[in-house]
Amino acid sequence: MSEKELSKDESLELISNMITQAKRNLARGGSFYFLLWGWVVMLANLGHYVIGKYELYEHPYIVWVLTIPAAIASMWYSARKRKRAQIKSHLDSVYGLLWLGVMISVLIILFFLNEVSYTLNAIILTFAGLGTFISGCMLRFSPLVMGGVALWVASIVAFNLTPIDQYLVGTVGILAGYLIPGYLLKKVESEQV
Amino acid sequence: MSKFNELDPLLHSQLRLAVMSLLIGVDSAEFVFIKEKTGATAGNLSVQLDKLSTAGYISVVKSFKGKKPVTTCSITKVGIKAFESYVNALKQYIE
Repeated sequence: MSEKELSKDESLELISNMITQAKRNLARGGSFYFLLWGWVVMLANLGHYVIGKYELYEHPYIVWVLTIPAAIASMWYSARKRKRAQIKSHLDSVYGLLWLGVMISVLIILFFLNEVSYTLNAIILTFAGLGTFISGCMLRFSPLVMGGVALWVASIVAFNLTPIDQYLVGTVGILAGYLIPGYLLKKVESEQV
Repeated sequence: MSKFNELDPLLHSQLRLAVMSLLIGVDSAEFVFIKEKTGATAGNLSVQLDKLSTAGYISVVKSFKGKKPVTTCSITKVGIKAFESYVNALKQYIE
């Protein structure tokens, strides 16, 4: 690119091209989190449901220890991504803060587990729906927006079920809300390279 | 007297305008990112970044990522104002 004089039309075209170039690099790699957490939470929900429903083991909630390595992997990935990023944007920061907010909310609910008792899973689905819905709006990616709505529908259904059946709804909700949009997002990200 | 505002000569140049347009939508961008997106040579880009920085349109910070030196650029408030005035002046010509 030289330092040549521009016509007015060339100027406008250049501005819009460069803005699009910068935008394309925003919030990339988001599919990693949806796929990681999608698989972990879906399998944990399904595991809890099967073990609890058929009384295979006394402590079905043990499956949730899966979320510990997932949290470590998330933090490692996010630190690596931040280190390698060639641009920093407000959108990227807000995106990270949104999920930090969701995580804090879920931790508060887990801390008061005795108070929320049998509605635990339904409440967590509500927060997952919020995070996914806003993420979809920020990335302008409608499958994620729909995913957020699917998680909210799952939470409404879950509020009307017994605790153990809520895990089955959670399995389906996470599949529709995290995994399907996550794979669609991954496809879009790979096409952008 | 012309009703048209003069186009800022500092921005009315291909590479400098490209740099400003890249920076307008982000908090900051590294030199290598700007070089890749504009397709400019490192030498020419450095010269143009210096001009924008001297005018106070961008700030340039040199730091290290591990042992690798990194140059990071971000647009300043003065730069945002200049960019907006430039776009408004362009609009006048096109309307």
